[in-house]
Amino acid sequence: MADIQSKTAATESTNRGPIAMQLRDVAVSFHGRTAVRDCTFDIAKNRVTSLIGPSGSGKTTLLRALNRLHDLTPGAKVTGQILLDGVDIYRGNITVTELRTRVGMVFQRPNPFPTMSIYDNAVSGLRFNGIKKKSLLDEAAESSLRSAALWDSVSSRLKVSASNLSGGEQQRLCIARALALDPEVLLMDEPTSALDPVATLRIEELMTSLKSRVTVVIVTHNMQQAARISDDCAFLLMGEDRAGELIEFDTTEKIFNNPVDSRTLDYTLGRFG
Amino acid sequence: MTDMIELNQPAEDDHLVRDEIRRISKSVHARRVTTSRVMMVLCGVALLIAAVPLVMLIAELVKNGLPVLNKAFFTTEPQTPTLIAPNATGGVSNAIVGSLALTAYASVLAIPLGILVGVYLAESSSKLASTLRVIAQTMAGAPSILMGLFAFSFIVHDLNIGFSALAGSFALAVLMMPVIIITTEIAVRNVPNSLREAGLALGARSHKVSLRIVLPSALSGIVTGAILAISRAVGETAPVLLVIGGGFTNQWRPLDPVSSLPLSIFENAKSQWPSQRLQVWGVALVLVAFVFVMSLTARIWASRKQQVRN
Amino acid sequence: MALIPTDLHVRDEAVAEFNSATADRTWYHFVLLSGAILFGAISLGFAGTIFWSSLPTWLHHGVTLLTGKGWSSPNGPFGGLAMIVGTFETSIIALILAVLIGLGTSISIVFLLPRRFRNIVATLVELLAAVPSVVYGLWGLLVLSPWMTVTVNPWLNSWPFAKFLFGNPGQEFGTSLLLASIVLGIMILPTFVAVSREVIAVVPQDLIEASLSLGATRWQVIREVVLPTAKVGLFGATFLALARATGETVAVALVAGGVANAQFHLLYPGTSIAAWIALTFGESQGNQISALMALGVLLMLLNFGLSMISRSLVNRQRKILAIV
Repeated sequence: MADIQSKTAATESTNRGPIAMQLRDVAVSFHGRTAVRDCTFDIAKNRVTSLIGPSGSGKTTLLRALNRLHDLTPGAKVTGQILLDGVDIYRGNITVTELRTRVGMVFQRPNPFPTMSIYDNAVSGLRFNGIKKKSLLDEAAESSLRSAALWDSVSSRLKVSASNLSGGEQQRLCIARALALDPEVLLMDEPTSALDPVATLRIEELMTSLKSRVTVVIVTHNMQQAARISDDCAFLLMGEDRAGELIEFDTTEKIFNNPVDSRTLDYTLGRFG
Repeated sequence: MTDMIELNQPAEDDHLVRDEIRRISKSVHARRVTTSRVMMVLCGVALLIAAVPLVMLIAELVKNGLPVLNKAFFTTEPQTPTLIAPNATGGVSNAIVGSLALTAYASVLAIPLGILVGVYLAESSSKLASTLRVIAQTMAGAPSILMGLFAFSFIVHDLNIGFSALAGSFALAVLMMPVIIITTEIAVRNVPNSLREAGLALGARSHKVSLRIVLPSALSGIVTGAILAISRAVGETAPVLLVIGGGFTNQWRPLDPVSSLPLSIFENAKSQWPSQRLQVWGVALVLVAFVFVMSLTARIWASRKQQVRN
Repeated sequence: MALIPTDLHVRDEAVAEFNSATADRTWYHFVLLSGAILFGAISLGFAGTIFWSSLPTWLHHGVTLLTGKGWSSPNGPFGGLAMIVGTFETSIIALILAVLIGLGTSISIVFLLPRRFRNIVATLVELLAAVPSVVYGLWGLLVLSPWMTVTVNPWLNSWPFAKFLFGNPGQEFGTSLLLASIVLGIMILPTFVAVSREVIAVVPQDLIEASLSLGATRWQVIREVVLPTAKVGLFGATFLALARATGETVAVALVAGGVANAQFHLLYPGTSIAAWIALTFGESQGNQISALMALGVLLMLLNFGLSMISRSLVNRQRKILAIV
């Protein structure tokens, strides 16, 4: 009881402005075995929200529920409510395809489509959704590649295969690919963990600049990264029943300097992995 | 840094693009989803169509072949039916004896040499090894009738041995060898390197390591390969068709002509006697049952060894 | 033909190290090397004797063999055009059938079937591939052929271009090029499915999730991402199936009709190179044997060429995926 009170108290204490997505008692289970539960918090618009916690705490599982990627997995069950602009993404009046054009995703390892050029990769989302008009495609390509800080280096070689880019550039291409559909929310699953420090830094800068365009939700196992770039923070931890649960949600400032739960403090001080 | 921030200031016309994207996407959505459903159903239909011939084939085999299988079938030699005795087909003991003999001789010829070459390919990185590997892969896919032509040229003609079990076994051995070579090489390569290193670390010389440690570990994979090769050889008609001569008696000596199960099917499929055509189904059933049992055995053995290893 | 695994978990550097670390030449290495050389000799003999026996035909009647329409036992002229046409026609039609159905089958196995069924289906495909050629031929002859004569052929003859495709009705027989093509198609289907399924299944899950996250439908994922990524390997599977089709002997011998008339009408009987060798070798003497050996050379070159193309394509596909 005290936990829920402290969580909702934390949620109300700061007015973050308009809300992009709301989670209420969200839990994900696979073949009956709970992977993550008790997730209740709001993702505010145009801010970076990070999901942090040690491995196994269910952060990625929770993230993937936000664009219904678990629909792919047989035996996966998502309970609770996830609202996008007030509409329940699982039970409400919104199709999966429409949801995914409004909530985009970037993955841990850069995964541009290997048989497509840079241009084709960037506009692949639009093409999937039936957009063929060249002017629209060109505009979206340029806009998204600029937003991903990639335009200057690739504008002269748009027809080149995406495999020619470096790791960091490939990841930025994946970001551009997701941005081309102009989503409201961008989910990022440990986007820099496969990259070198220089590329990581560039992408962190990018994320900070992106939040004026999209709402960013990022999973990261790197606390310092969360502290650097996120505005709000959700801390998850694996419980005794081997299910992850939300321990605390608040502004990053509060989580790292003055958390309510002792476990949060232990984690941010590096007392356990 | 400031450049980056400027990149993503929302502009007034930003939402125009987004709205157009959303609008177009909504209008084609239904069609896309329908297309997807239709295509996935078609793929499922393809799977069903692919399954039909197999089911039909097995059904016919069992329906026609099972009634034919009795003691006489397996133990008596064949006869030619006559107008007075149109059902006097006899049995197929000649073909059974012949197939056994052919397979035995071919295995003796092919398996030891195949294993040798397979081990060689696994342990050597010379030019000869890579060339032989390509040769083995090519021959594994070669039309089996070519092996028959080879056996005819070499055994029947040049060595003047004539139509014989030896000629047929030679053809089958040439057929089996590439399979055994390839599967043996894979089995030996799959032995974890840590085993080799452990042996060397204990001071053993490399060839002893291979013989005492690596080969025993690869044995199950090698046996699987041999089973697959034998299973293939038993069912082959073309290589033996040209060189074994056939015959109605239970011959098995290497220098004499012999019959074989697939050969008897080939010869009698177009027979004018319905009783013989019916008997052919029995032979086919026996052949297919044998091949299935061998293939399944190989598969189960291989997967069980894989589990043990894991 | 049982399917042979062709992927090698090659650890070349480790092998080289292993060998050079202890570079003593013992009887062990001697025995291995002798075996290798013996195999090399056998394979050279394999190609060599067939070439050698066929030499007289190539030298004196080479052109006839490639372009002649009639085959007269026992002394010629030996025209191989009928066999060549028959081989290509039956193999290509069989390939089209096998690829169309096989691609859908592979996609179903990977994307429609629940995970636990995949092993069973893989085993079934392997078993199908192991059924001896002569059994397919028997089934085609005694079951398919009557059914086609009664049910399918009349229907085919009612098509608009029937005369062109199928020949004059009433001239047809139970055994025909079409029947051979269908039986061949059924026979090479497992080969195609086995390789294409493997190639499709190893397309990284990453790419599939990425395209779904962009709002693609299932079919779009398959068509725009999975198939293009697997394209090279799929071509490899196609060439492998084609190679197998050209080499099939006994089934075609039983159901194609065994008549050497160089025409392409599908409902007429015909033959293929391999089938013709199987059917006429028994009663052949000297010159005809040499001519049949020459046909064998053609078959060998065709099959080896297709095999080689297939192998290089499958290798290239492996490299593509290694980069991804």
